[in-house]
Amino acid sequence: MLWQTLALTKRELKHWYRVKVQIFMTIIQPVVWLGLFGQAFNIGQLFNAPGMPPGLFQQAFSGAPNYFSFMAIGMLAVNVLFTCMFSGMSIVWDRRFGFLNKLKVSPIPRGVIPVSRIFSTVIRAMIQVVIVFAIAIAFNYVPGLTGLGLKEGFGIVEVLGSFAMLFLLAVGFASLFTTIALAVENQETLFGVINLINLPLMFASAALFPTALMPDWLKGVAEYNPLTLAADGLRQLAFVDAAPIHSMWFNIIGLLLFSGALISLSVLTSRRLLSNR
Amino acid sequence: MTAIVEVENLVKRFNEDVLAVDGVSFTVEEGEIFGFLGPNGAGKSTTINMLTTLLRPTSGKASIAGLDIMTQQDEVRRVIGLVPQDLTVDDELSGRENMYLQADLYDVPRDEARKSIEDLLEVVDLQDAADRLVKTYSGGMRKRLELAEGLIHHPRILFLDEPTLGLDIQTRAAIWDYIKDLKAKHNITVFLTTHYLEEADGLCDRIGIIDHGKIVALDTPATLKRSVGGDVLTIGVRSEEDLTDLISSRPGIISVRKEDGVYRAKAVHGEAATPEVLKAIWEKGIAVTSVELSRPTLDQAFLEYTGRSLRDAEQSGSFDKAAAARAMRRRR
Repeated sequence: MLWQTLALTKRELKHWYRVKVQIFMTIIQPVVWLGLFGQAFNIGQLFNAPGMPPGLFQQAFSGAPNYFSFMAIGMLAVNVLFTCMFSGMSIVWDRRFGFLNKLKVSPIPRGVIPVSRIFSTVIRAMIQVVIVFAIAIAFNYVPGLTGLGLKEGFGIVEVLGSFAMLFLLAVGFASLFTTIALAVENQETLFGVINLINLPLMFASAALFPTALMPDWLKGVAEYNPLTLAADGLRQLAFVDAAPIHSMWFNIIGLLLFSGALISLSVLTSRRLLSNR
Repeated sequence: MTAIVEVENLVKRFNEDVLAVDGVSFTVEEGEIFGFLGPNGAGKSTTINMLTTLLRPTSGKASIAGLDIMTQQDEVRRVIGLVPQDLTVDDELSGRENMYLQADLYDVPRDEARKSIEDLLEVVDLQDAADRLVKTYSGGMRKRLELAEGLIHHPRILFLDEPTLGLDIQTRAAIWDYIKDLKAKHNITVFLTTHYLEEADGLCDRIGIIDHGKIVALDTPATLKRSVGGDVLTIGVRSEEDLTDLISSRPGIISVRKEDGVYRAKAVHGEAATPEVLKAIWEKGIAVTSVELSRPTLDQAFLEYTGRSLRDAEQSGSFDKAAAARAMRRRR
């Protein structure tokens, strides 16, 4: 079963890395996001007005030295979401071109079909995250740009911890979008659903803006968004005096539940969603 | 011989009102090439999809190699190979990668897979193209790859859904050779659907003619052809004398008609009746100028059993049924 999953995961990854444009996009997209969006929204500057108490920005923005650093961490989580949202796309194509039928007549457990897509998407998301992280750090050495400022003593444990949380986030989102793709018949519907949930998920979270400054009704939702759990956990590792939203344990257990529940859902529903009546 | 496929009263109904397969029953013997012949929308593919576990029957029973298609789906999937109507090989992988993927899906051990993949690629003449991406392949090459893929796990029965649809004549002939080879070398059972009569005729040991979801005839191609009437003997003579009675008095001749100066005689066994007729004419001292013996084609049998109404329009829904009915009225 594992063998079959890996064989199909390999197929997905081959589809991805054989298209040169996709590799290019994977690298260029974070540069654009971090370079433009991250540098343009220099919100920290507003807090430097005369008469403002010092340290107010750090207090509001999880201890980040500047807005770019705050956003770069959130962007790691957002990039996971953006990579995962097309996770089920290949299922829709395979259904259209008949490849799905080939899988369905083969004696593989039905769950292998979604799980292989989830694996390949998670691998891609993690590669993307490494690139985003490297670019954000590299900006420190580019004159005229702000880079990701991490706390003193940010070491291997913090790096591994951060990637572990992003991994769980990726498993959860990849499972969510793969299950949606199993359930819909055509790509138009899938695009519609992705568009519907994608931006609200990003904005109703602590990824790009602190939840503390949101109205209460939104804050109530945003604080439990998986993106918030990941971003909050990462910032506690990255900055000093991070003013956590949740405890570290809450974030980790929350992400474990999120990923565990959704990948189980994907496997459990695959049998029903892949049978023709 | 033992039955490898046993089908009993299989029914498939889509959305209440479309009865795609209407209670078919048949058996396929191990080692034979069995063909389902029928017009578009007759229920051929639906039947294959049910037998290969892609579709759930509405009612009825079917088993493959003694395994129930409803309750033992995983076991059934291990003993069958399917070459579907659509090309389902992966465009973005090479031919060889497609084969390895297929081998992995069926848990074929690596060493064994390596060997049978090379063998199969050779059988379908794809060794040279094996490392090219499939998107550079022609339609015939894809179909051959598909055929090879269906065999990677040594299935006991191979299902071919319209194996030569849309292929040129050379490729079609090549595919037929591969299928015959398979049967000869591996004693594999082949179940195929087609609407090409010459394909069914040349390839199949037995044919089921299916129409409107029902099997209307099931026998060897030769018997089916014979059942619609005998051979036709066409004789031209240099004489004004009427030979109708003379010819029809010969043994084995069913009827005789004079048309455009030639006699057309229907005979049960043409090869036996021809010398008799020629001898009788010769003894009268009349010169024979031409002789032609033609056998009934499966086309005749097919049209005899399925009628001549248009089918393309009929397969999808009630609107098209109305259109087909209009077309039929116009022709009357």
